[in-house]
Amino acid sequence: MPYNIHFSIDVVIFMPVDHKVSSLLPFLSSPKLLPDESEAEFQSGLQSLLSELDNPSPLAVALISQLNESLWWIKRHTVDKELLLHEAMARLLSKAGSYTETYDNRKVSEALEHYLDGSAHKDEAEWIDEILSESKLTLSDLRVRAFKDAAKHIKMVDDLIHRQHQTIRHLQRSIDSIDYKSRLIKRMDLELAALESRQSVKGALTLDAKPS
Amino acid sequence: MTQNLRRNLANRCNALKSTGPRSVTGKWASSQNSRKHGLNSIPSFESSIEYQTLVDLIAEEGFSAFVCADIASSLLNYRRVMDAYYDTYTNPEPVNEFMRDMSVKGSMPIFREMLRESGSELGDVRNMAAFFAGMQRQERHKGGPISRRTTDTHKLIRYQRNGIARLSKAVRQD
Repeated sequence: MPYNIHFSIDVVIFMPVDHKVSSLLPFLSSPKLLPDESEAEFQSGLQSLLSELDNPSPLAVALISQLNESLWWIKRHTVDKELLLHEAMARLLSKAGSYTETYDNRKVSEALEHYLDGSAHKDEAEWIDEILSESKLTLSDLRVRAFKDAAKHIKMVDDLIHRQHQTIRHLQRSIDSIDYKSRLIKRMDLELAALESRQSVKGALTLDAKPS
Repeated sequence: MTQNLRRNLANRCNALKSTGPRSVTGKWASSQNSRKHGLNSIPSFESSIEYQTLVDLIAEEGFSAFVCADIASSLLNYRRVMDAYYDTYTNPEPVNEFMRDMSVKGSMPIFREMLRESGSELGDVRNMAAFFAGMQRQERHKGGPISRRTTDTHKLIRYQRNGIARLSKAVRQD
């Protein structure tokens, strides 16, 4: 029984929202995702945000889609912080050779990526271990040094994330304002309807009270 | 490998002799070289179909005509900023691996050989090596692709701030 109730709610909420999103997407440009990102995940995030509003207006849908995009950017930038660390680690490792002969940065970067994922081949793992011992570093030492090297760029990514948080705050305020406005209009309509019905009842009563 | 290095260096030396575009179209094309995102230009959305449709949609919500126009243009402006943000993020300045990984000291004999034909002196070779070393320092300073895209997108923060503030103000003014 509860499953039936849940199903009926989903249908009632999602159908009009889907229609509004599809009518607005051509103007707000469809989500631009990176090749390794899932559109289904993006859309499910959007749907869950939209389902929190009771019968959202087209403008609210437009703002919510921007908010969802901001959340998506926060995710991307959080991944970037880790990638920056990996990049700095690879740079440090590629310099581990002698002064005149450095290791190929791209090869080191790829091998290190696999090493950190735990998906490295035996040769790759041995190579990374060899470079680490050559530079007299442990993996945690390397990470600390890389963090120091990449601090400037990591701070930039933090700024970008902070900007997205502020954008979300702006969008939330705007959505609240639209929601409040629509509630206010609905309330005024109801009050007006109540007044009109009261007036019509009064009119009927006075008509009845008049002597024929 | 040496042949490849020699060719690359020769190309760069020849490029330094260039005095720039001569034709009007060439000059116009080169004037767009440093254009990054175009966000400093003032957009006009009023004539677009998107703008008109958005205005009609927003008008259904009971906003005044002036506010509808303001919200629609602010929303399209914000989208413009976010599209530029995405483009900058996905197309950072490419890493010049040749410049980053070249050994300037190791290339000295090649510089000497190249400049010998034009009767240059040892000082010229040193100047050339210093020039390439400077370019290499710049290239390394910019970091890898992730650092570059971070630096590039960081430059767009102020456009985002202005875009969202304008949109928020437009929505809440009525």
